[in-house]
Amino acid sequence: MTDYVIEAKGLSKRFGDFQALNGVDFKVPLGRILGVIGANGAGKTTMLNAVLGLSSYDGELSVLGLDPSKDRDALMQDVCFIADVATLPKWMKVVEVLDYVEAVHPRFNRAKAMDFLSRTKVPLDRKVRALSKGMTVQVHLAVVMSIDAKLLVLDEPTLGLDIIFRKQFYQSLLEEYFDEERTVIITTHQVEEVEHILSDVMFIQDGNIVLESDMDELTQQFIEVMVSPGKEEEAMKLGPIAKGSTFGKSTCVYKNIDRETLAKLGETRRLGLADIFVATMTGEA
Amino acid sequence: MNTFTALIKREILDGMNGYIRVPAILAALSVFLVIVSTIGFGATIEFDGVFDRHPEVSNLGEAVEMAANSNKGEHELPAAVTLSYWVMGGISWVALPFVIFFSLLSSLYEERRDRSILFWKSMPVADWQEVLAKLVTPVLVAPLVFLGVAVAAQLLIAFFLSIVVLFQGGPVLEMWPLATMLGTWAVFVTQYAVSTLWVLPLLAWVLFVSSYASRLPFMWAVLPPAVIAAVEGILFETTRFLEWFGVHLGGWQAYAYHDLNPDIDGPRDFLNLVFGGVQMEGLTYTLSSGQFWLGLVIAGGFVYGAIEMRKRAI
Repeated sequence: MTDYVIEAKGLSKRFGDFQALNGVDFKVPLGRILGVIGANGAGKTTMLNAVLGLSSYDGELSVLGLDPSKDRDALMQDVCFIADVATLPKWMKVVEVLDYVEAVHPRFNRAKAMDFLSRTKVPLDRKVRALSKGMTVQVHLAVVMSIDAKLLVLDEPTLGLDIIFRKQFYQSLLEEYFDEERTVIITTHQVEEVEHILSDVMFIQDGNIVLESDMDELTQQFIEVMVSPGKEEEAMKLGPIAKGSTFGKSTCVYKNIDRETLAKLGETRRLGLADIFVATMTGEA
Repeated sequence: MNTFTALIKREILDGMNGYIRVPAILAALSVFLVIVSTIGFGATIEFDGVFDRHPEVSNLGEAVEMAANSNKGEHELPAAVTLSYWVMGGISWVALPFVIFFSLLSSLYEERRDRSILFWKSMPVADWQEVLAKLVTPVLVAPLVFLGVAVAAQLLIAFFLSIVVLFQGGPVLEMWPLATMLGTWAVFVTQYAVSTLWVLPLLAWVLFVSSYASRLPFMWAVLPPAVIAAVEGILFETTRFLEWFGVHLGGWQAYAYHDLNPDIDGPRDFLNLVFGGVQMEGLTYTLSSGQFWLGLVIAGGFVYGAIEMRKRAI
């Protein structure tokens, strides 16, 4: 048995002339929460669709020791995903969704799902069509969190939801689902909301993985300095990867330069994940 | 098997209107029409000069009694009663072809359109099972539901007419030729099974269309066959494709039964033919027909194509 949940080597996908995924290599271990971050069309969903057995691909890919393009149904015993908001069948009643999952999924714990739902205002005998967007996500999350899976993939799970739902969503994910025996992969545009729960992060740009890192390591690498007046020249010599200005002062972002050196230039602060993403994408390119 | 049962159950839930409500409403309508035409118009209760040859018969009870006591009627009555129940409950069936066609047409199309396919695919269910459930439900389960509903309608009609006959002092038991009724229900099942295997290439085509059409599945289902027929007509001035189509749609029966003795004298002869001759002739003709087997191969190809499309669909 492999130690990695996902192992990919030279993973590629082409749509006509468009190279959506450009021979990427990566490994995802067990017990991690990985954030996959990239602009629209960068290749996130293409990559995840390959992992989930939803589309074909070139290259080598093994998910929990299985080939997703051939064994999707076997793989789904141990893998769960929410690929988008509102994919639950709208004509079904909530209770019928539970009935169905209970009948086809051997790892589904109905009591657990009922417990999750009892803490929401979701009416069980209502059709999914008649639920609000937030409630639909609550139902889907209740289903997914009640399945004893090793890998959970969430592709933009909270798109279009209001902030209270989003906070609750990630909170229950972290507190009631995640443990050392599971891996969660999340893609989202709302980076600020997930960065505190991520253990690992991957940046994707134009079908390539441009950065793969442990979250703690990453945030230590990037430091932003609000350069004190008169020290601009000195600051430039250290080779900032990005420059900007705030409140009339120039700011510089540095990668892999120790904090003490930078502290002499001015006030320093750690960058948030969103800023690191922007700095990486715009600065180094 | 548990998974497949759950899939069938899901399909029935999804198509609740076509599979349950429509036949139930139509069956209720047929019972209602029988009741209204019996009570409302009074024609069944009071025959007024309907039977010129038998002026002594003035209502249904007396008519049944007379038939039961006559020499010929004794043999004909069970068949006649059974057939009249089929005719009176006939409306129940009119929607079945539409239900089958449109269920197949939307089966693999709607799930892509409303994106629920992403939910279905997150479950440990193989694509071939999904496609098979979407074929089996309209083609096998729906007719059985329709039959169940039609049987219920026939029983209700029999029950109602029994009350009428009872009040009119007629022989109520004659209204319940159960063995004959049961026989016709069983024959329906076998006859339907054979007809379905014949029409399977056309049904599988509709399923296949549903798996690939990105929009306008109805056009995709109807236009290509129409174009093939038209092109053939213009280029070769023949109608082979249409003939092939017609044979699978039911035309095979004309070939299968053309040796049968059409000398039918009364409802009993007819039912005897249905029970015996038609069954045997139909089966023999079918099993020895090359076109039948080729049709099954084509159907298999379309189903295989639908499964492959389902694997790739998001």
